[in-house]
Formats: sequence, structure tokens, C-alpha cells
Amino acid sequence: MNKIMYLEFERCIGCRACQAACRECGDHDAKERNYVEYVDFTESRQTFPMLCMQCKDPACARVCPANAIQITEEGVVLSAMEEKCIGCRNCTFGCPFGIPKFDFEKNKMYKCDMCYDRTRDDIPPMCASVCPSEAIRFIDFDEMQQLRRRRTQMNLVEGKKPQEGNKWDYVPEFFGVYTDSQ
Amino acid sequence: MFKLEKSFYSKTSMYSFFAIVILFFLMWVSTSQFLHIDMALLGYMIGTGVFAIGLVIRFSFWIYRAATNKVATRSVKNLFTKERMKRNAKSITKTLIDNILLQKFIFKRGLYRGIQHIMISWGCIISFAFTFGLTFGWFRFDLVDPETYQMVAFNIPLITMAAHGWLAEIFYNMLNIGAVMVLIGVSMALFRRIRDYDVKVTQRFEFDLLPLYILLAVTGTGLALTVSYKFLDGWMHPHISLVHQITVVVMLMYFPFGKLFHVPIRPLATAVPMSYQETLKVDTKTCKSCAQPYSNDDQIADVQAILKQQSFDLQLADGTYLSDYCPACRRRMRALKQMNLEAPKGNPYGPVNTNNGIHISGFGKKRTDDFYGIEEDVKKDLGEEKEYEPVSR
Repeated sequence: MNKIMYLEFERCIGCRACQAACRECGDHDAKERNYVEYVDFTESRQTFPMLCMQCKDPACARVCPANAIQITEEGVVLSAMEEKCIGCRNCTFGCPFGIPKFDFEKNKMYKCDMCYDRTRDDIPPMCASVCPSEAIRFIDFDEMQQLRRRRTQMNLVEGKKPQEGNKWDYVPEFFGVYTDSQ
Repeated sequence: MFKLEKSFYSKTSMYSFFAIVILFFLMWVSTSQFLHIDMALLGYMIGTGVFAIGLVIRFSFWIYRAATNKVATRSVKNLFTKERMKRNAKSITKTLIDNILLQKFIFKRGLYRGIQHIMISWGCIISFAFTFGLTFGWFRFDLVDPETYQMVAFNIPLITMAAHGWLAEIFYNMLNIGAVMVLIGVSMALFRRIRDYDVKVTQRFEFDLLPLYILLAVTGTGLALTVSYKFLDGWMHPHISLVHQITVVVMLMYFPFGKLFHVPIRPLATAVPMSYQETLKVDTKTCKSCAQPYSNDDQIADVQAILKQQSFDLQLADGTYLSDYCPACRRRMRALKQMNLEAPKGNPYGPVNTNNGIHISGFGKKRTDDFYGIEEDVKKDLGEEKEYEPVSR
């Protein structure tokens, strides 16, 4: 898997197609695992999509008392293993990004796994394949680098210059799983 | 305790040693000084000894994990707090009945899976209890007179029963009942694992399928023993018996290191109602930002301690931790940070400015000067430019 999940929050139009698509995915039990939320409803109608970062050293797995959260060899952080999960919800509180969800009825945690069955074969995950405004994209590493560069250039044209202290503000959201050899 | 630990290779080996000592002490008591050992079960006995050591080792490493240790320590502390006695009793009873006896949450995941799991688990528990009990002589059946059996548990005579009574028949067939239950459950599980695509995606052979094959081998050979002595006049009985013994020992060796290890760690689930949630789905700790209840103080304290122990630096500039905010606020904080939209300095909980300065709303608006970040002397030079026309020669 050499592709990247690339998010651009500003592009989100709040249609929630990604959530509908997520519900359709097999094994998701008609429950979405991603989020579309308002930045500040009293200020504007700007929404943003939110997915799991697939951390290399996930805080959710570290706070799990049952050691139930596993990482695949490609680096995808999976939902808690059903036989191990004791339903304490530590993962939802440990995650710095507020991603894992919890099903009280079935007593299990579920979270975005980047549609592992699709992405391991380089097929875009459900959310990325339906997003009409390309706020969520599943692209090659090179394409991602190009987009980031273009984005920085755009900021320069607009009159903003990245400085040492704030250069990361000019880099859009990108995450995903890629090998270091890329 | 610390001194005692020094006389062993490690803490884990100390625990294993005591587990074995306790096991054989119980055996010594219940077999009246090793008088009533069933020598036919010697292989099982040694296998179970190794199984006990494996279980202790895995259990120790599991409990040394920072997260497990924190949750378990709090639960043990709460268990012996007087004010919590009522709550503890309620939580333990509830977890025992709902999660272990009836396994309600698995039935909510699907009727098929519920039946499959309850068959495997109860079949295994019955068989394990019976096998361990007989192997270590914890209970045995003595012949009082030609028509009466007596059950002796830990060398204390208990009930007597007619040799061909219904109670005796149940005891004779206990392992068969367990085996049939496991056979049904394992077949259902294997069928699901072979057919269901969603399950196949993340299943691993050595973790998800191997235990099923091992259980199948154990029950298959076990039932073959019954078939052999009931219907085939004991044809091949010693051979099948040996094969069965091998499969059981393999299972005992596998147990602590594979999927089946989820059984002994399950009681930790009591920690949830006991330490974290008095009533299900009711939260008492409020979010620092939106003031909505989202968790409980003890749990957040535990999560923060676990993260700190593992050097996760999730503390914000104002001294709060990310776990002090509800998940929705955490998501929002990340988006704000990413889009450079964070609240103006001074009031971190005030309204946010969704205009990031790159895209100006409307044509009539102008950017403030500090947006361009042009230095004062340069600005002065630019201003001076207007006073005279540049002369071209």
C-alpha cells in the first residue's frame, strides 16, 4: 500500500456523502466511523471531515488495558479485537484526536480502519471514493507531495510567507500509510 | 516480598513456582497424600502443569503493561473500599451474569454468533472443569457398595448416587455433553470464518483458525473414544486415547499464547462498572471547552497517568490535557489548528475566527497591514514613493 489519505478541510461542503458511504461498507454494521462537523456553527457553515490518523504509535492502543487494538503490517490501526475488548472506552479518551467510537449495546469499540479490505489492494476507501469536492482523497505519495508544494506556493502568492516558526501552518493535512522506501 | 523475589530468576518465575506449588498442594490434599491418583491421566497432569506455568507467565506480562496495571490496580483498590461494597457486589454479579453466564453482548452482535460462542465457551468450561478436577484428583468417584457411587471432592465425601441413576449418567457423560457443545460451536465458527468475507479480511490463520482446528481435533478424538467403547467394543481404544491425549496437551500448550487467552482476562471487564461507570452510559466529568459530560474523573485520571507513564506529551499550553476535552472538541481543536483558525489570543474558549486571512469574504474588505508582515522601514519607503515621480533618464 503506497497510497496516502489526503484531507483538505477547506474543501468540505458538508454533504456527508463520506458518512453515508462509510455506513455502506461491509462489516460496519450500518454505522459510520468518520465524522463531518461544523468548525463553529455560530460563525459559518464551514464543515470539516475527520478520519483516523493511523498513528505509528497509537495512544489508543497504549491506553487499552486488554491490548485489543492491533496494527496491521501495512500500518493500519484496526478496531479493537472483539474477543479482547472489555468495553472500558479508555481508547476514546486516550486518542488525542477523538476518533474511536463505542457501541454500548454490542460492547465493542469501532474506529476508522481506512477500509482495510479495500486500501490494502490500493482501492480507495469508501469515503474518498464518494467525496464530490475532493476534500478526502486517496492518492499517490508523489501526487501528495505535489499538492503540498502547490499549496505552499498558493500561500506565497496570497502574500504569506512561511517562516521557520510557522512553516507547518502552510502544510495541509496529510496522513496515511506509506513505506519509507518510497 | 521484595526479598523473596530476589531468590528467584524473575518475578514471573516466582509466581509460576507458587502456582505449581499450590496446584500440587491441592492435589496432595484431595488425593489423600497421592493415594488416589488416576495414573491413566498422568499425561494430562503434566500437560496441565505446563499449562499453568504458561498461563502465569502470560498473565504476568499482561498485568505488567502500564494500561492494564493502572486499571487493575484501581479495581483492586476499589474492591476493598468499604463505601463501595454495595456497588462492587452489584457490578461483579452483573458482569458475571450478563457477560460470562449469558454473554448477552455477543447475542447482540448476532444470534448466530451468540449461539456459536455460548456453545464453545460453555462446552469448554464444562470439559475443562471436569478434566482438571479428575486429573488432579480434586474430585473422584468411590464405590461404596456395588450399587452406589460416592462423589469425593477435596477428600471430603459428598453426595452418593445409584450407579445407574440419572445423576450418575450425567456425570459419566459430562465430557460428551461438553464435546458435543464444542463441536456444534466450532463447526458454526468455522463455517462463518470460511464463508463471511468481512471476517476474512482481518483474520489470521494462526490466531483465528488454528484454535478452532485444535478444538475440533480435541472434540473429534474425544467423541471417537466414546464411539469406540460404546459401539465398537473398544476397537482401537488405546490408540485413539493416545491421540486424544496428544491433542489435549497441544491445546493446553497453545491456550495461554493464542486467542483462547481472552478467557482468563475477561474478568477485567468488571473494572468498567466497578471503577468507571456506576450506571451505564451516564457520564459525570464535563468537557473543559463545551461543558458537556463525556466521561468520569477516575477514568480520565487513569488515562492521563497511563499516557504520562508512556511519555505521550498531550498537554496544552494552558496546562490542560487533550483528554480533558470531549472527543468532539478534540476533533474540532485539531481542525482549527490545521486550518490556522484558532481563537484569538487571550480567550481560548471564545468564538473562533473562521477567516484565516487567505480568502477574504466579499470585495469590499481589505486585509489588515499585519497580514502582509511588511517591516516598518520598508513600509516607510513604500509610502515615500508616492511623494515624487520616479525620474527616468
